Amino acid sequence: MEREAAELFEEFKELTASEFFRRNKQMLGFSGKIRSLTMVFHELITNSLDASEEAGIQPEITIDLKRVDKDHYILKHTDNGPGIPYAFITKVYCTMFAGSKFRNIQSRGQQGLGCSGCVLLSQMTTGKPARVVSGYYEGEKLKGVEMTFKMDVKKNKGLILDRKEVEVKSTGVSIELHFKDVSYSLSEQGAFEYIRRTMIANPHAKIKFRDPTGHKFIFERATDVIPPLPKEVLPHPRGVTADDLIFMAKHTDKRRFRSLLTSSLSRMSTKRVNEIEEATGIDLNKRPKDMKWEEAEKIVDLFAQMDFMAPPTSGLIPIGKEQIDKGMREILSPEFAATTTRKPKTYRGGVAFVIEAGISYGGDSGRLVGEQKKAEIMRFANRVPLTFDQGSCAITEALKSIDWKRYGIRDLDNAPITVFVNIVSTNVPYLSTGKQSVAPEAEILHEVRQATMKIARSLQKYIRAKKAAKEEALRSKIFENLVPVVIREAAVLAETDVPEYDAVLAKVTRKAKFENIPLESEAENE
Amino acid sequence: MNRKDITVNKLKSLGERIIDEINQNSVPSIKVPSRGTSNIVYDDDKRYYVLGERYGQRSLGNVKQITKIAQMVYVANFCKDLVRRGKTATLREMYYVSEGWDVDFGDQQESNIVGEDLEVTLGMTREDLGLMPEEDGASVYGNLVIQEDDVEINALKSGKSGYTISPTIDDVKFLEHDVERVIAVETMGMFHRLVQEEAYKKFDTLIVGLKGQAARATRRFLKRVNQELNLPVYICNDGDPWGFHIAMVIISGSAKLAHVNHDLATPDAKFLGVTASDIINYDLPTDPLKDIDVLRLKELSKDPRYRDENWQMEIKKMLKIGKKAEQQSFSKYGLEYVVDTYLPEKLDAM
Repeated sequence: MEREAAELFEEFKELTASEFFRRNKQMLGFSGKIRSLTMVFHELITNSLDASEEAGIQPEITIDLKRVDKDHYILKHTDNGPGIPYAFITKVYCTMFAGSKFRNIQSRGQQGLGCSGCVLLSQMTTGKPARVVSGYYEGEKLKGVEMTFKMDVKKNKGLILDRKEVEVKSTGVSIELHFKDVSYSLSEQGAFEYIRRTMIANPHAKIKFRDPTGHKFIFERATDVIPPLPKEVLPHPRGVTADDLIFMAKHTDKRRFRSLLTSSLSRMSTKRVNEIEEATGIDLNKRPKDMKWEEAEKIVDLFAQMDFMAPPTSGLIPIGKEQIDKGMREILSPEFAATTTRKPKTYRGGVAFVIEAGISYGGDSGRLVGEQKKAEIMRFANRVPLTFDQGSCAITEALKSIDWKRYGIRDLDNAPITVFVNIVSTNVPYLSTGKQSVAPEAEILHEVRQATMKIARSLQKYIRAKKAAKEEALRSKIFENLVPVVIREAAVLAETDVPEYDAVLAKVTRKAKFENIPLESEAENE
Repeated sequence: MNRKDITVNKLKSLGERIIDEINQNSVPSIKVPSRGTSNIVYDDDKRYYVLGERYGQRSLGNVKQITKIAQMVYVANFCKDLVRRGKTATLREMYYVSEGWDVDFGDQQESNIVGEDLEVTLGMTREDLGLMPEEDGASVYGNLVIQEDDVEINALKSGKSGYTISPTIDDVKFLEHDVERVIAVETMGMFHRLVQEEAYKKFDTLIVGLKGQAARATRRFLKRVNQELNLPVYICNDGDPWGFHIAMVIISGSAKLAHVNHDLATPDAKFLGVTASDIINYDLPTDPLKDIDVLRLKELSKDPRYRDENWQMEIKKMLKIGKKAEQQSFSKYGLEYVVDTYLPEKLDAM
C-alpha cells in the first residue's frame, strides 16, 4: 500500500544541532577510543586557555583522570579563568552553535564544537549528568555556584538537575564528566602527548595532571608573558567567497553595498569600488540585501584578477621564537634547541599566515621506541597540537622533502630530534572536517621548508662543534698520554736522562689542530 | 765492530735523535722508508729487489703517528735488551711481552709491522734485532765445521739428516771446510737420495735440503757460504713454476723483504733444474700443467727477475709442452741416475 507524502514527512522532523551530532558524533572528532579522549582534553584545555588569556590571567589547569572500570573514566578539569556566571553555564555546556557570526580572527577553537560536545559524549556513553563548579566575580563580589545538569538534545539546551551556591576561593571553572568508550593512551595520539605538546606551544600556561595510575605530572610554566589577544582584522578580498559576501550583506547595518565593501574588507578603497562597479556593471549603490548570488560571484571572480596589497598581518599573533625556545627547553630539556618565526606571508593571494619552527636535539627530544630514539614531528595550528592525519599534512610533507643529510642528520627517523612547526593564521586551510591536517598550499610548504632549513643549519653547526670538541679532547688525551711515554722510552733507548719536554708537549697538543702533516703511505704487504 | 755492536749503536741513535729534537724544543719525527709496492724496485746492478727513495714521516705531533712512534721506541728498547743479553725472541713472544707496555698493539699483525718498520728504518734484519722467525732453516750435509756459541759442529757428522740451520745463523762462525760447491735441493727426499749416493764425496759439495720455500735463515746461510767461503751455489728443484720461484727467491730475493735483500739474496746462485729442456732431453715422466701452474708461469714471465733469456725460453717451453716434472722423477732410470748421470752432466754444462 502506498503511503501519502504527508505521512512520510511526519517522520521528517527538524533535527536540533545537538540531536544531529548525537547521531553523528564522529563529526565532532569523537571516533575511536583514544581519539575521543584526546578530543575531550583538547576542547576543555582550549576553552580554559582562551578564557584565562581573555581575562589576562596566567592560565593554570588541573586535570585529574580517574579510571573507574575498563573504558570508564571520570575526568575532573579545573581552570583559574574568570569563571562562568550562573546564567550562562548551561548555555556554554549544553548548547551547540551558541552565537555564530562571521569573524576573521586567529583562534584556537576551530577543531570541534567546544565543551558542549564533551558533555554530549559523556551523556551518550554513560547517561550521567555533568557537574560544574564555577567561581566568578559579580561586581566586586566573588560568587560560587555548583550545578548538576544534563543536555536536552531535542531542545538543544540544558536540563538542570540540581544547583546550589557554594563557597569558592578563587575564580575558575571545574567540570566533572564521566566517559565510557574512551581510552587513555601514552601513544602519539593519546591525551598525555596532547598535554605535553600543548605545553610547548603555550609556555605561559601551567598544567597539573594526575593520570589514571595516580602519577602526578606538573608542567611548569616557562614564561610569565601572557600572549596578546589576537585582534579581529577585516578579511582580504582574495580570501572571501561569494557565500561570505552574501552572509555579510545579510548581517550588515550599512545601507549601500558600496559602503559594505569598504567597511568589511581590507585593502578596499573607494577607488577600488569604482573600478569594480565599472568592470562588472553592477550598481553598487543598491541596498546590501538586494545583492544577488550571481552578482556576488562576479565580484569575487573580479577580486581574483585585481592587484591588492597583501592582507594586513596585525591580526596574527605568533608564539614567538623566544617563547617556543622556552617551551621546548622546559618540556624537552634538550642539549640544543633552535627556533625561528618567519615573517607573515600569504597563501591563495589573500590569507596571511606565519610559520614558526623549532628543532631540539638530545635530552628528552624525540620519541623513545623500545631502546631507540626516533624523531618526532609536532604540528600545531594556532598553538593547538594537530595529532591526527599526520601523513596528509603539509607540515609533514614539507619536512619530509628536506634533504636532512645536508644538515648532518644521516637518518632523520632515528635521530633524537623533535621538530616543532606552528602555523598561525586567521584561516588555517584544513584538509578535512577533523581539522587535523593542513592543506599543502605551495606558499605554506615553502615557508615550512625555509623555516626548518634555517634552524637545521644551526643544529648542524652544533652537532659539528660537538663532534669536533669530542675529537679534540680525544686527541689531547692521546698526546698527554703518549708524549711522556715516547720520551721516557727514547731516553732509555739513548741511555740518557729524560729531558724537559713541557714545551714540546704544549706545542703538539695545541699544534695538532693546525698542523697538516702529510699522511704517511700505509705499508702494503704482499 | 761486530754486528751486535752495530745493532746496539743503531738502536741507541734512534733514541738519541728523538731526545736531541726535544732538547731543541722541536717536534721529533722519524723517517720510515716506505714498503708500499710502488717503492719496491728491482735493482739491475745488484740483481735483487731494493727499497726505493720514498719514505713516510712519523711525527710526534700527529695523533695517528705518535702511537706508531711509541710502539717503535718500545720495540727498539726490547730489541736492544735482547741483543745486549745475547737472547732472541719470536715475534709472537714480543707480542705477549708488549701486553705490559704503555702502548697497545691491536693484534700481532700490528706488532709485526712495527718490527718491520724498525728493520727498514735502521737497515737491519730482524735477526740482527734478536727477533727470530718461528721456523728452523734447512738441513746441511757435508764437510763443513761451524761454531755455534761454544759448540763445534761438523755437518758431516751430525746424523743422516745433517746440521739444521738455526735462526741465529748470523752468530755462527765457519771454522773450516773441504768443499767446492753447494747443491741445494727442494725436497728432503732428494736430500736423502744425494746423501745415500754420497754426492757430497763425488762432487765435493755441501747438500742443502730446502724443505720447500727457503726460510730466511737458509737464505742467509747460502748468502754467507757464497760470499764468505766463495762457494758457488746450485739449486735443483721440481720442474714447475713453484720450483722455479723457490730458486729465484734465493737468487734475487723477495719483494716483501726488499729492505733486507742485501743480506739475503745470492745473485750468483745458479738454477740447475729441473728445466723444461730437461723434461724433454731426459724424457721424464710428467704431469700436465694445471690452470694455476699456467697462470703462475705467465706471471713469472713478466717478473723482472726472470728477464734473463734462458728463463724466458724455459718458461715458454714449459707452457708449450704443457707439462711439469718432479725432481725425483729421474728414478725412472734407477735411483742412482740423478747422481751418476744427471748432476754431472748439468754441472759440466754450467
